[in-house]
Amino acid sequence: MTLDFLEPLLFAVLAAAILGAALAVVLADRVTTSALFMALAFLNMAGMFVLLGAETIAAFQVLIYVGAITVLILYGVMFTPQSPRAYGLFFQKQTPAGALIAALAALPVMAIAFSFRDSGAPPQRGGDLVPLGSSIFTDFAFAFEVAGVLLLAATIGAIALVRRERP
Amino acid sequence: MSLVPLGAFIAVSAALFFIGLGGVLVRRNAIVILMCVELMLNAANLALVAFSRRLGLVDERGSVFVVFVFVVAACEVAVGLAIVLAAYRNRPVIDVDQMAEIRG
Amino acid sequence: MTEYVWLIPGLPLAAFALNLALGRYWLGRATGWIASAAVGLAAVLALLVFFETLGAGEGGRTVTLYEWFGVGDLRVPVAALVDPLSAAMLLTVTSISFLIHVYSNGYMAHDRGIHRFFSWMPLFVFFMVLLVMADNYVLMFVGWEGVGLCSYLLIGFWFERPEPYVAAKKAFVMNRIGDWGFTVAMILTFLTFGSVAFHEVFAQVPEVHAQDPAILTAIALLFFLGATGKSAQLPLYSWLPDAMEGPTPVSALIHAATMVTAGVYLVARSTPLFASAGPALLVVGIVGALTALFAATIALVQVDIKRVMAYSTVSQLGYMFLALGVGAPVAAIFHLVTHAFFKALLFLGSGSVIHATEQQDMRKMGGLRRKLPVTYWTMLVAGGALAALPPLAGFWSKDEIVGAAFVNGYPLLWGIGVFTGVLTAFYVTRALYLTFHGVPRDQHVYEHAHESPAVMTIPLVLLAGGAVLAGFIGFPPEAGFVHGFLEPAVAVEGAEHHAPDYLILAGLAATSVVAGLIGIAIGLAMYARRRPDPAAVARAAGLVYTLLVNKYYVDELYDRRAVGLFHAAFGAGWAFDVHIIDGLVNRLGWLMGLVGGGLRRAQTGVVGNYALSIVAGLVLLILVYGGYAAGVFQR
Repeated sequence: MTLDFLEPLLFAVLAAAILGAALAVVLADRVTTSALFMALAFLNMAGMFVLLGAETIAAFQVLIYVGAITVLILYGVMFTPQSPRAYGLFFQKQTPAGALIAALAALPVMAIAFSFRDSGAPPQRGGDLVPLGSSIFTDFAFAFEVAGVLLLAATIGAIALVRRERP
Repeated sequence: MSLVPLGAFIAVSAALFFIGLGGVLVRRNAIVILMCVELMLNAANLALVAFSRRLGLVDERGSVFVVFVFVVAACEVAVGLAIVLAAYRNRPVIDVDQMAEIRG
Repeated sequence: MTEYVWLIPGLPLAAFALNLALGRYWLGRATGWIASAAVGLAAVLALLVFFETLGAGEGGRTVTLYEWFGVGDLRVPVAALVDPLSAAMLLTVTSISFLIHVYSNGYMAHDRGIHRFFSWMPLFVFFMVLLVMADNYVLMFVGWEGVGLCSYLLIGFWFERPEPYVAAKKAFVMNRIGDWGFTVAMILTFLTFGSVAFHEVFAQVPEVHAQDPAILTAIALLFFLGATGKSAQLPLYSWLPDAMEGPTPVSALIHAATMVTAGVYLVARSTPLFASAGPALLVVGIVGALTALFAATIALVQVDIKRVMAYSTVSQLGYMFLALGVGAPVAAIFHLVTHAFFKALLFLGSGSVIHATEQQDMRKMGGLRRKLPVTYWTMLVAGGALAALPPLAGFWSKDEIVGAAFVNGYPLLWGIGVFTGVLTAFYVTRALYLTFHGVPRDQHVYEHAHESPAVMTIPLVLLAGGAVLAGFIGFPPEAGFVHGFLEPAVAVEGAEHHAPDYLILAGLAATSVVAGLIGIAIGLAMYARRRPDPAAVARAAGLVYTLLVNKYYVDELYDRRAVGLFHAAFGAGWAFDVHIIDGLVNRLGWLMGLVGGGLRRAQTGVVGNYALSIVAGLVLLILVYGGYAAGVFQR
């Protein structure tokens, strides 16, 4: 018995989980519920990356998204308490229009999306860490530095925005 | 030869992207909107990695781009939350429909 | 000598400049002497030029100063044509101007603006001389316009009161209407003849007449329109009575002796043109005759002494145009000269009376001959000349006019001329009698009346001398000195020369004299003996009298029709500007506001809406790209 069925099965499970979690994020009652489902989506996304053979990326995904960003979001939730409200008030006034336009955008894209075929090249072995690392620190070193500066700027900006003026 | 076609990955990416887009346009809570934006970014990452790994020869530049998307996403969440918190301090709402002071 | 002819306008121009620059603060009354001296010297020079022209024979010399401008084929030199006609006009203009300048030294002595007066007066003389001396229509027009300007300045001299400057405006505007005719005629002349110089134009008249006589008629009539404006003929005459608001010397100089004669000079100078211009001359004659009659009827009932003289001037100018119209340009110029003398005298005499009584209403005068003897006797001479009593000057010239009308085949015009003569004699008798004879009607005025100083009375006497003697230059009729002298200047090629039939002329002369005597007799009867009583006659005439006193309501008619028309046009223009042009701009602004307001609705302030619009744009992009990709759109 071959284990060939494993890959498509894993893919199906992961895909269902991601999309289900995403829907839950959009439609959930409480913010915290949305946040946790978002974390779930991220986790499954890491699985997708592994399935594609990009383990480093998967590691980064877990570190950054599930680790840092989810926590940030939760901090945000914590600092902005809201009084409980009816579920209907969760949706913007422009919901019908918004949903319609999003659907309009989705349809053509989805239609083409299925049509992509990969090449017949054999899958590469050995993971992606080495090529990724050498690429970033040689070809894209400048972009790497700029990204660092961007992080610095974002940090400073975020601090500046939430500073309380001392009287 | 992998049994999962490239198109499937792309389809998942597209679906995730448009779910996130719908969330941005539909939800009132500013933080939820930020979360949906993250979903969209993830979708983009997936598409990038899929194309880089599966379309023709493996090209690691797609993955490099993904790393940078990580960075930008993180920054964006940080600053976005800072903005929401600052606005919340002004008026304790995070309902985007009620934050219309820039009207007119 | 003729080379110095340009000093004749030059001296008064220099006086003008000097008086204008220094008059106010330094020269004061000396401006009067400066101006008088300048004009006097000019008169002497004019006399010298005249003598030289006497011996020069026919033709005439052109003295060019410099070329003013040349555009394409049009060459306009500043050049003087010295021929008998212009010499005669020069002499008349300068000598009478001189006498009036001297007189004004006395009349305007106490006026605060005397330096202004003696700036504008020599300036006027300059322009008038320029007008008369010019050898082309453009330069003549410069003088033409200039005298109009000076007339405006001098009529409105006492501008502190509203009537003078209103009258000045009226004079200028009516002149302008005539000037339009002059300008169009000038343009047509250039287009037809290729030149504006007199000798060049007149030389080509027969040729043009063969090709296109209609254009000649048009040019002639348009020039005549200009002449009606300047010389106060129907329908552009009503400015002249109003111009009496100016100081009396101004009335004497400009509105009796010189400026108003410019129209007559224009037509006389253009005789070769008019002679070949079909019915134009007849129009001139008819208009002249009608104006003479019309103005004389109004003069019958005026109570302001200057107004009587003003209407008399209009009437006498009509005679001059009548003469031109019946083909007797020499007679017209002759009458111009004699009229200049006795009309100027009548005005200056009136000025003397006004100076003495400090008002102008004849109803308040009476019996002044004892108080103002010199004025009285000189006015009497002038009045006789006006009534054409022999042997005074007016008789010779006016009789020649009506005689020519009869002899050249215009019996109706002759009849009008004779009848107007009766009216003329009547109104001048009336005016003189009311002023100088009878019982003084206003004691206060009578008490304070005094004769004028010598500086004013001497010119009166000199002018009276002229009024007596000037007629003899036209004696014997048709063959006198003036005829021989002027004939070459106004000759028309191919014109016939009749030998004068003295019998007919004597008969016509007798008729004119009788007409004059009848007029005087009626006048004396009505005012000396009160039989019939003037008031009774006025009542009996009823409607006619009212019509005359109100000057046929012409001014009111003009005001309502013409001025009203302009007001309507201006109103329309203003309405157009405010409603349409401004309205357009305002509407545009309102539209912008509307559009802006509409577009502003996109700025809801709700961030979600902005995200929605971004996505909508994305949709659009996808669709367009998809369309291209699917080959739906043509690349």
